[in-house]
Amino acid sequence: MRDTARDPAALELLRVQRGRLADRMRPPWWYLTGIGVLWALTFACPFTSRFLPQGVRIWPILLAAVTAACLLQWGLAQATGISVGTRTLRYPSGRPAQIAMALTGAAALVTETFLIDRDLIVTAIVVAALAVVAEVAAQQAQLRGIRQDLRDGRGAA
Amino acid sequence: MTAKPDPLIHPITRLSICGLLAAGADWVEFAALRDAAGISDSVLSKQSRVLEDAGYVQVRKGAVGRRPRTWFRLTAQGRQAVEGHLAWLAQLEEAVSARTRDARQARPLTGGRDQPRRVLPPLLGSS
Repeated sequence: MRDTARDPAALELLRVQRGRLADRMRPPWWYLTGIGVLWALTFACPFTSRFLPQGVRIWPILLAAVTAACLLQWGLAQATGISVGTRTLRYPSGRPAQIAMALTGAAALVTETFLIDRDLIVTAIVVAALAVVAEVAAQQAQLRGIRQDLRDGRGAA
Repeated sequence: MTAKPDPLIHPITRLSICGLLAAGADWVEFAALRDAAGISDSVLSKQSRVLEDAGYVQVRKGAVGRRPRTWFRLTAQGRQAVEGHLAWLAQLEEAVSARTRDARQARPLTGGRDQPRRVLPPLLGSS
């Protein structure tokens, strides 16, 4: 068996291997599609609470969205062979994108509610559509950051 | 974290396995680890068992449909050992590169006696 102390390229080899591992962390098509559908469901909540009959609550929809998000994460781990868990804030390169996702989500929900209250329905739909696109882009940026941190070995807890 | 060599992860195959598991993922699946490390199934099975017995690696077995799947992750003890070993290797690499740099600087010019006259004017003229 080779001995690392007599092999000055051991760390270089490890960098190459980490690069190979990080390259596996590419989401399949259904993952980003699923993320888009989930955000679309989330941004549909202000509309449903306004236009659906009183008996329909939004909590079951949100619960379904959270369950679907967990299933998507599980599917991503199965497809790539790499599980990054739920504490994704620990990846420094993916953190800004994750914070941007949360802020965009909150801002879009508040803006939609504001616009719906003033009967600006078309504008609210446009805001929701733009927010979905922004969220999917942010999700891609977060995965890029996670890949970079896996490559650099910076994602350790 | 103290930089010190760990005899258990000193062999390069085990260093690859531990180094990949320390990259930041929670769990890494058998095939992903095998492909990234560029080793065979049997080597990974054997070395991961050694690391598991030493308490450095945790193994979880599951299945998707009929396909069995094995997942690995570093334990806290394993992570500490790997980080210490990688820090030690980084120090070693730094020492080797410093020695190479010193040796290169100490080496006399191989050109003729008029080499400084040929080299210096363009450099001085460009500044």
